[in-house]
Amino acid sequence: MTVTTAPEAALGVLPRADGSAKYSHAGYTVTASVNGPIEAQRRDEHPYEAHVDVIVRPAAGVGSTRERHLESILQSSLTQIILVKNFPRSLIQIVLQVEDTPENDYVNTKLVQASLNFAIMPALFQTAVLALLSAGVPMRATATATAVAIVPQDGTKTSVVDPSPRDAEIAQSVHVLAFTSHDELLLAESEGDFTVKEWDDVYETAKQVCCRPVPAKEGMEMVLDDEHTNGPDLRHFLRSTMEQKVASDLHWK
Amino acid sequence: MPREAEPSLNERQFVLQALQDSIRLDGRELDQYRPLELTFGDQYGVADVTLGKTRVLAKASAELTVPYADRPLDGIFNIATELSPMTSPAFEVNRPTETEVLISRLLEKTVRRSGALDTESLCLVAGQKCWSIRVDVHVLSHDGNLIDAACFAVVAALRHFRKPDTSMEGGVLTVYTPAEREPVPLSWLHSPFCVTWSFFGEEGDIALLDATWMEEQVRSGSCTISLNKHGEICQIAKLGGVPVEAVSLLQCTNVALIKAKDMSSKLDKWLAEDAKRRDKGGLLAELSAENDRVPDI
Repeated sequence: MTVTTAPEAALGVLPRADGSAKYSHAGYTVTASVNGPIEAQRRDEHPYEAHVDVIVRPAAGVGSTRERHLESILQSSLTQIILVKNFPRSLIQIVLQVEDTPENDYVNTKLVQASLNFAIMPALFQTAVLALLSAGVPMRATATATAVAIVPQDGTKTSVVDPSPRDAEIAQSVHVLAFTSHDELLLAESEGDFTVKEWDDVYETAKQVCCRPVPAKEGMEMVLDDEHTNGPDLRHFLRSTMEQKVASDLHWK
Repeated sequence: MPREAEPSLNERQFVLQALQDSIRLDGRELDQYRPLELTFGDQYGVADVTLGKTRVLAKASAELTVPYADRPLDGIFNIATELSPMTSPAFEVNRPTETEVLISRLLEKTVRRSGALDTESLCLVAGQKCWSIRVDVHVLSHDGNLIDAACFAVVAALRHFRKPDTSMEGGVLTVYTPAEREPVPLSWLHSPFCVTWSFFGEEGDIALLDATWMEEQVRSGSCTISLNKHGEICQIAKLGGVPVEAVSLLQCTNVALIKAKDMSSKLDKWLAEDAKRRDKGGLLAELSAENDRVPDI
């Protein structure tokens, strides 16, 4: 019913996990817990690196093919940024629990769906990164992700950042892109009909959302060009969340 | 997956010794619950319960399906509990542990078998179409007393949930989307709650409510009593453990009734608050598709 437009995050929400985070943005609320590096099962042991195990649990129903697909995408991207070579034969276990998804009021949803739900991927990705930071797992870079949909509107096509379920339903194509803090492209998944030029536009939009340079300390020249900012500044959000957590942890000093 | 670290001998003896003097580690009384908090999600049917550090999330959802062949007039109602590695790395996905099986069975008997939800009201077309209501219980954090928290969450989620409205005209069933007609609540008969007692000592003479994880590891027996606020008992489960005197068990049920009434009033209060929060400007009454009862003159 009520959709929050600004992202919110809380770190260290689960007392028994090594690291945990709860993140909500655009109607999606995801809680993640990270345990690791811990002892791995014999079958998952890798002689030179740590095994990254991602488990996605949907809000309703048991996990199905869709969740396995999300897990494999997240696993391959998170393995790139975690320093897995530091922990041979170990396991880094990331569990993502979807708590809330925005409802599409125009459709009665079915529980088990095989097709991929793109709009949830950035929320899952972001929560995983925050939980990894909370657990103190060594990473070579942090990452931010966003979803962009190309929606036909009044004859022209506009790109919508963080599409609602309704937007995703009528969109011509939906894309999810993730960038590391070194401005490298980490993840790119797309679905639908689109041209290469459209993908380039989506890339630029996503890069602007995910990789906006951190504003200078003297915040007098704040974001004056509001009309160019399309969506929240995710990297700044990640940074400020971590700064808040560190400040509250060290408040006794 | 790594096994859960058991409490050391020192910790064990410390807890038991303190209990001999009726002292609990967090300073509570023997029959005092930890602070119980409940938050509802933006969607209907999502209930997040915190009992101290234990956190359980329950989500209710509905789907159209075919009823069972031997029960053509009843809908389908399932409760799914799956402990994930989020609770503890000792739990694996798809491998039910004893804890999980016990919670599942207790919730089944408490909520499903007691007829808290009227399954006949879930039937739409006899033998062909019915609602399948499903409650998923996710344990986010385990610090003892999962059963009480899970039962409270399930009951809260089901009472909060709204299923899509339907209408039947001349043999044609129409299911309305939430945009067309406001969803309707489920047909709820009574609210059962679980109260779990833990017994300590060789004779089982020390009994306390709402054990934390540490207390659960050192207990010698436990008994779960499910009842509603009217004092109607749904089930009493004492699965093994140290033998307890019958008289003290009866005293436990009496206290359990007081706690169940307390939980029931808290749940009613939270549901009312949530309804008020959603019903801004009193418009929710306008959205109902029911006709007003007009008295015959």
